[in-house]
Amino acid sequence: MGLLNFTRDPVPEAVSGDMHNLNQLSAQQFSALTEVLFRFLTEPKEVERFLAQLSDFASMNKISLGPLKNIVKSILLVPNGALKRNLSSEQVKADFIALGLSEEKASYFAEQWKVNSPTLTRLAVGQTLMINQLIDMEWKFGVTAGSSELEKVGSIFLQLKLVIKKGSQLENVYVELTLPQFYSFLHEMERVKTSLESFS
Amino acid sequence: QLVSALHNLTRHVVYCGLTRAEDILSLFPENFHQNLKNLLTKIILENISAWRNEAQASQISLPRLVDMDWRVDIKTSSDSIIRMAVPTCLLQLKIQEDAALCGNNPVVSALTVELSKETLDTMLEGLGRIRDQLSAVANK
Repeated sequence: MGLLNFTRDPVPEAVSGDMHNLNQLSAQQFSALTEVLFRFLTEPKEVERFLAQLSDFASMNKISLGPLKNIVKSILLVPNGALKRNLSSEQVKADFIALGLSEEKASYFAEQWKVNSPTLTRLAVGQTLMINQLIDMEWKFGVTAGSSELEKVGSIFLQLKLVIKKGSQLENVYVELTLPQFYSFLHEMERVKTSLESFS
Repeated sequence: QLVSALHNLTRHVVYCGLTRAEDILSLFPENFHQNLKNLLTKIILENISAWRNEAQASQISLPRLVDMDWRVDIKTSSDSIIRMAVPTCLLQLKIQEDAALCGNNPVVSALTVELSKETLDTMLEGLGRIRDQLSAVANK
């Protein structure tokens, strides 16, 4: 086997056997299986649904679930590595062929990869570590009418509630701003936006 | 007793928002020493706006923003994607706890928050709405 694009580690031995079994599937069966796989890749939290769909596929096509799961595990090695390395669809196709998949099936999978990769990339970026991520912001503003020191005040204040994700917990931070601070904050955030856009 | 009385007088003036000499003068009893009355009034008038501002600054409030800094980073690699170029914003807010609780030693804490471009856009939308509401109130 030549050098693979999606991984530098040696591929488990079982993979070529699994590819051989995959080649036995008809085009429709392969297409249906691919659809199940990509639905899972684009929604990785739906594990139960994925397993249910695999189980349905197995019974509809008279394949035992155990071997099917192994085949699926082998197939998934490629898209997972491809995502990490930003592989193109040609590279994905070449890898499948190198692993023993038929050209027709490899082409088909690579095509589906091309269609789904923007979504998958966005998901992977979204999973990247973020420190104290800002999740939500609420605000209210009002007027201070009076206090124990001053009978009549009439100053405007803005209160912000920031919802921040610290590790796996959410924390609320309350902050009060004067009007000049608010305008200055808005101005700075617009500068940040310009900066972010110039790097996108 | 003297200090306490002066304190009460100045507090009263600040509380009621008196700004005219006549109003302050009228607080003194009839037979109060004329020159002393004028001197005290003069001093009070000179300090009144400073005292009002300080009273407002030390009002009870939610924690207040005292400073803000930002930085834009480009994320180039992570365990989920080996090569990428994703800009992200780090925002540091310096927040002072309620001045009334801290007395003379205000506690300032720094909070660093990360915003993705999408989050920033949403935040700007929110801030824009605040600005519009403020103009609407100002124009009434």
